[in-house]
Amino acid sequence: MKPLNQKAARVTRALSGEDTGMDEVRAMQTVPAGCTTTFDPGWEVDPFGGVAALCQPMEADLYGCSDPCWWPAQVPDTMSSYPEWNQGVGSAATDWRALGSVFPGDSET
Amino acid sequence: MKRLISVLALATGLGLSAMPLAARDLLVTTAKDNTLYVFDATERSLIQSCPIGGQVMPGVIVMSPDSSIAYLVVNLWEDVIGIDLATCEKVFHAVGSSKDVTRKSMASLAVSRDGTEIYAIRNQVRKLIDRYETLPPEFVVFDAEAGLDAQPKASFEAPRRVTVMAAGDTGLVYAAGHDIFAIDPSDGTTTVAIPNAHWDMPRHSPPDVLAFWPIGTQNDEFLLMYSAALFTDETMSDIADFVWGYSTVDLKTGETDVRDFASFEVIMFSGVRNPVRPNELFGVYTQLSKHDVDTGELIKRVDLPHTYYVINISSDGSEVYVGGTNADIGVYDTETLERIGEMQIPTGADMAITTLQIAKAE
Repeated sequence: MKPLNQKAARVTRALSGEDTGMDEVRAMQTVPAGCTTTFDPGWEVDPFGGVAALCQPMEADLYGCSDPCWWPAQVPDTMSSYPEWNQGVGSAATDWRALGSVFPGDSET
Repeated sequence: MKRLISVLALATGLGLSAMPLAARDLLVTTAKDNTLYVFDATERSLIQSCPIGGQVMPGVIVMSPDSSIAYLVVNLWEDVIGIDLATCEKVFHAVGSSKDVTRKSMASLAVSRDGTEIYAIRNQVRKLIDRYETLPPEFVVFDAEAGLDAQPKASFEAPRRVTVMAAGDTGLVYAAGHDIFAIDPSDGTTTVAIPNAHWDMPRHSPPDVLAFWPIGTQNDEFLLMYSAALFTDETMSDIADFVWGYSTVDLKTGETDVRDFASFEVIMFSGVRNPVRPNELFGVYTQLSKHDVDTGELIKRVDLPHTYYVINISSDGSEVYVGGTNADIGVYDTETLERIGEMQIPTGADMAITTLQIAKAE
């Protein structure tokens, strides 16, 4: 196996045990004080394995997750990539129909 | 003096009211309509709206010690601005990013206790033509009087992964990262005030801390709650409990304390202690909980109409305010946890993940 680009080369170096700064990266563990469980993947399940402790309602949590880039895979990242996504849509609970989907531009694919 | 007059004018209804001057609490927050709002917390009335424009959210607010200026991280966490609450005038602006380097402060903003300096930690990334180059984070010091083209008067390399900060009477700035650091803004010397990820708790897992809201400064406290697994013994093979605890720095003395106070039964996003009865800790999420941190007792817990992210408490300890998420701020009696009042963002815009600051005004 030979790395084809810089990122792959860094992964190879990390696996080899070289000092690559990987020890600075820590997954959330044990009981994350958030809406979900280990690795903070999304809104699927709460820390107790159920759904009762998810944010209620989901719309109360929507902008708290998009604005600080908390879950960039689940909601548009308005911090860096899609800053206009929810501009002018003040209330997620009442205005959610105005929120659209986002797609990477051609220059990013 | 100008600032003092401004605060007085604001506290008496923008100078138009003949109300007698009395100590009161201002509640300062922002919303998704990119506006800074100031409420008279006691009267439950909106007394100022400052349209900021641009991108105010996620919304991070710290107050000047005299309560006259709200400092915010805006422009997608890149710029620091100061807004005079009485006039809505922008009196401070430090642009974070430059042509090829993006600098974002992830809620890392603090004001010195005498109001003369502003502190931020900026995470820097240089955008090269084919890649991003991560640069060392920097702790920057601004003169609060630097105006609308503020440049750092000092800059030091800072720890990575820092979010909220608070300045103490010791002159040190306490910064929450994987440990709670104490940074000397005069020379950048950084020490560990409270080991966190590196704590020496033989029966505890490393803690998980959600440190997002720079609250509690008016109580002279920098408090962060943690959750952790508690094992039956030091072999860490069997879990005995999941616990809530807190790490705190006394901003007057610099004294620190770390202690568990409850089992992990509900999520709490933020917590604050009562300035009058510091054994009482209030935590918020979809429930509002009142704990006695001395006895470990859960005194009371009530369900809330919806999830709230952020909590703060009145100067006299009689009521707590819960906000963030939607457009309503709930007021709860600290004795009974009864909902005794409410304030609304007038446009209905969400507060999302913004700060709820309480500032004393005369």
